[in-house]
Amino acid sequence: MAAALNNAVVQRVTRIPPAYFVFAILMIILWIARPHMLNANILGIFIRQVAPLGVLVLGQLLVMRVKSIDLSGGGVILLVNYFISSGLFPGASVAFFVALALATGTLIGLFNGVMVAKRRVSAVIVTLAVSIILVGFVQFLSSGKPPGDVPSVFNDIYNTKLGPVPTPVIFWVFLTAIMALFLSKTVFGRYVTSVGENAEAAHFAGVPVERTVILAHMIAGFIAAIAALVQTASIAVGSVRVGLDLPILAVAATILGGVVFGRGEGGVWGPFFGVLSFALLFVVMTTFGIDEPGKLIAQGLIILLAAIFYGVRTARSN
Amino acid sequence: MVNLIEMSNISKSFGGNLAVDRVSLELLPGSVHALMGENGAGKSTLMKILAGVHQPDRGSIRKDGLEIAFASPGEALESGISTVFQELSLLANLTIAENMFLGREPVTRFGTVDYRRMNAETRNALGELGLTLDPETLVSELSIAERQFVEIAHGIKADASIFILDEPTAALNAADVEVLNRHIRRLRDEGKAVVYISHRMDEIFAICDAVTVLKDGKLIGTRPLSEMTPASLIAMMVGRELQDLFPPREKAAGDEILSVENFRIDTASKAFSLHVSKGEIVALAGLEGQGQQKFLRALVGQFQPFGGTVTIKGKGLSLPVGQEGGIRQLQAAGVGFVPEDRKEEGLFLGLPVEHNIAIGLHARARELSVAKGHRNTVADVMASMNVKADGPSAIVGSLSGGNQQKVLLGRYLAADMDILLIEEPTRGVDIGAKSEIYGLLRDFANKGGAVLVLSRETIELIGLCDRIYVIHDNTVVSEMPAASATEHDILDAALSA
Amino acid sequence: MSRSIRRLMTGSQSRQGMWMLPLVLAVIICVFLAVRTEQFANPENLLNLVAQAMPLVITAIGQMFVVVVGGLDLSVGSLISFTTAILALDGPGYVLIPAVFILAALVGATNGFVVTRLNVHPIIATLAMQYIILGITRILRPVSGGTVPDVVIWAVSETFLGVPMPVYWGLFVILVAWKLLHGSRFGLHLFAIGGGIASGVQDAARNFGVADKRTVVLAYVCSSCFAALAGVFLAGRIVSGDPNVGLLFELDAITAVAIGGTQLSGGIGSLQGTVIGAAVLALLSNGMNLTNVSPFIQTAIKGSLLLLVVGLQSRKKMGL
Repeated sequence: MAAALNNAVVQRVTRIPPAYFVFAILMIILWIARPHMLNANILGIFIRQVAPLGVLVLGQLLVMRVKSIDLSGGGVILLVNYFISSGLFPGASVAFFVALALATGTLIGLFNGVMVAKRRVSAVIVTLAVSIILVGFVQFLSSGKPPGDVPSVFNDIYNTKLGPVPTPVIFWVFLTAIMALFLSKTVFGRYVTSVGENAEAAHFAGVPVERTVILAHMIAGFIAAIAALVQTASIAVGSVRVGLDLPILAVAATILGGVVFGRGEGGVWGPFFGVLSFALLFVVMTTFGIDEPGKLIAQGLIILLAAIFYGVRTARSN
Repeated sequence: MVNLIEMSNISKSFGGNLAVDRVSLELLPGSVHALMGENGAGKSTLMKILAGVHQPDRGSIRKDGLEIAFASPGEALESGISTVFQELSLLANLTIAENMFLGREPVTRFGTVDYRRMNAETRNALGELGLTLDPETLVSELSIAERQFVEIAHGIKADASIFILDEPTAALNAADVEVLNRHIRRLRDEGKAVVYISHRMDEIFAICDAVTVLKDGKLIGTRPLSEMTPASLIAMMVGRELQDLFPPREKAAGDEILSVENFRIDTASKAFSLHVSKGEIVALAGLEGQGQQKFLRALVGQFQPFGGTVTIKGKGLSLPVGQEGGIRQLQAAGVGFVPEDRKEEGLFLGLPVEHNIAIGLHARARELSVAKGHRNTVADVMASMNVKADGPSAIVGSLSGGNQQKVLLGRYLAADMDILLIEEPTRGVDIGAKSEIYGLLRDFANKGGAVLVLSRETIELIGLCDRIYVIHDNTVVSEMPAASATEHDILDAALSA
Repeated sequence: MSRSIRRLMTGSQSRQGMWMLPLVLAVIICVFLAVRTEQFANPENLLNLVAQAMPLVITAIGQMFVVVVGGLDLSVGSLISFTTAILALDGPGYVLIPAVFILAALVGATNGFVVTRLNVHPIIATLAMQYIILGITRILRPVSGGTVPDVVIWAVSETFLGVPMPVYWGLFVILVAWKLLHGSRFGLHLFAIGGGIASGVQDAARNFGVADKRTVVLAYVCSSCFAALAGVFLAGRIVSGDPNVGLLFELDAITAVAIGGTQLSGGIGSLQGTVIGAAVLALLSNGMNLTNVSPFIQTAIKGSLLLLVVGLQSRKKMGL
């Protein structure tokens, strides 16, 4: 057994993010159980549904690469949704809402980043607290009831297609490609890798560690705002509950995609397939009649098992 | 006489590195056994195996003729092996008494910890060492020397038959060392076995009966100390004639490139000045923890000094240097800082050689600029430093200690620094790589670079450097040319100050 | 301010942390409320306050065991809801009540095992556990309902020897926790392990012969069992099972622990501090209710408070 684990092939296989295996397995299950669902139209709709999650994951993987985490996405989504649906800005243009959303997200990211990098506060606590504050604030402003309607432009854009592929999916793939390029081609990407591998060594090598972490959080906040716009466009109404479960799903998808806590390793396409796995998982679970609670358990188990997988692997390599 | 402990053919590796390679060691009752070797020779690992911290990959340990194996330090302690570790391992948030009894606290009838007894026994134990500390003082409030003494008290108080003292005197002055020696002799007379690790030759000859020398994880030999002289012991440790190890010195130093005036490490310390010129390798020597490291780290913002002026290449450096930006600020001024702890502070062990070297170059670029490959630079550095690795994409953690150290130095050489501040240039490095690293540093100096280096290995400083500043009590107490200096001169200068 | 008073207030040079400062804070809030509102000082409100604060006090004390060893337990909120759901199953009290604690101990042991043996970050392990338990709870009881055994209701709402039951709960919990934290080798070992972790030497305590992994597992078991106890108390008060009753409880517990001067990096803290911290939080809630602050804003205020108290404790390392 021990010899088998040290085998080069086995080691290489354990380096592949679990997301790819999970995705393949779910595809096979779906292919056996519900072959008629495997057509471009139906899958397109399912995949479109997870586009906001897919976008949010891009920020999550960035902060997780620098050994942080961002659970404030839920609050950002709710706040942006409120801005757009509350009628607080009557007659404002789409461009205005987009700018407002992005500015808000970036600002919240900046706050998170400063708290984590400068004050060295636990990232989970900071971002969770920020989320709670934002949620409480929005619910207070809207007295706990859904605010109003979203300008129809948003939903119209959301429903467009480029050939057979829904626009939000193309947008998501496009953003993912940008993030992949950004991380592999820029100096910032090198900083992220360094800080994730060993923050202390990065500091002594001359990497501006605090600035890198703050910037990562700002980008994550910016991306969370984009996710909020996509999410708002998809539901087309105001809501006081929308997107609250997205951050934890994003964490799960990111872990599944091979971004390891405290290791700084992992790419962009692993988490991408992590999100696709979730899209399929929800389809599979729904077809087998498993509802909400089952999904919660699945999320928890996926996070736990993936974390154990990496934990044991790290312990063995030491 | 029966051997108290018999370690035979012990091997232990970490990652790919063989830290201890088929080493055997026998300890006799009523003897003090010195364990010698350079940093990284495997002394500490061997002792941690005996103390149950590490488990050997191969080999066996016998105590009183019976084979034993420890899964934890607790088990080793129970079978009578007590250790004073090299690192200060006391827990700062516990009191002295709690530290003394941790893991074997007495309890009262009600199951609560018996503080009265712990405090009383601790007071006695400290008293025997001539200390009048309150047992209820938190360890966080003690000075380094006091902590070291508490550690010693903890180690020798235990009801054990084997005592391992791993550099117990690194932070102690001469009078304190004498107190300790008295206790070691007492233990010996009571028939205990003591393993003593120290860098200080005179201590070894003063209290030890036999010596075992390790080099690069291998056993060189065990001899009665009566047969040895300091010179023959050093030859045994280094494994070759000293003069072959170090590159020849060049004659003339150039212009002054780094000057430090009226520098005060803290409010209570005396001001000092020092300077380094182009083409020079300058040492900071002295007992451990006397301020050498604080000074070097103050220059790059990792420690806040009290005051002084620092001039680099004619430009003033405003003190204190920023904690977060200091390293970058100094790099921009052409000063590279090579930290002591290669694994924690130096390298990205899980990343390729190329990343580890090129990051020094990337650190000078803007975040959003395109990251250049720096392939040629990395290849040049690897070739000129003779780094043995499967190409630039080899993971650094898989290299030997010597090659890791070369990669670390290579980062700063690739980044074209003018001044290198180096802590422990050859820690945990085999003898061949040491010699190469000395050569590289001398080359760097010959090309007009300047090096300021500190090391626990006084022999290394004497052989490598041009000039030596002896530091004691947070200030420079003496300056001497390295060519004519001896270990004894340096210790003398430090202790008579 | 004289040096010794500053020492007491900031908790420097003490393993107990700065518990005097929150005590002063609690007194100030009490005085303020007594002056500003008529209801606050009347016995009924005070008793109500004790009963209201009790679940938080109990959970916070449990949380403290884990915090002292440098961890966090985010699964306690779900576990509280889970406990109420189990108690509201149709069954006799002598089966359900022991079952609740056995299950809680199992959850804690799993958390501890995953953290110590499988090398998973405590926050991630317990976050995952939070979702798993929440899911199971929602299967057991999708919406609130059912009735809990009479004995549970009795133990929370009756009086004994003229003293209301919640007072006994408080005394019992404090006694047990004091014994575990400050009156046993186990407690000292918790502080020793946490001290090592706080100073960056992961296995410092193990080198002294402390069975660190087992001790940490037990800390998680304590946290879970105290959470279950809080769940039993809550179930007695709401008389039914509720899948949402423990929502965000883990964050309130962490806030209370941090207010009480316990360092989240480990090794520093005290029982009295945690109790005072929970009291401060409960007083704030009570005060906000008495002064008719919107419940949504209360959530936001509590979140800000968490951010504030945790932000005031600076750590050496960044991260989760």
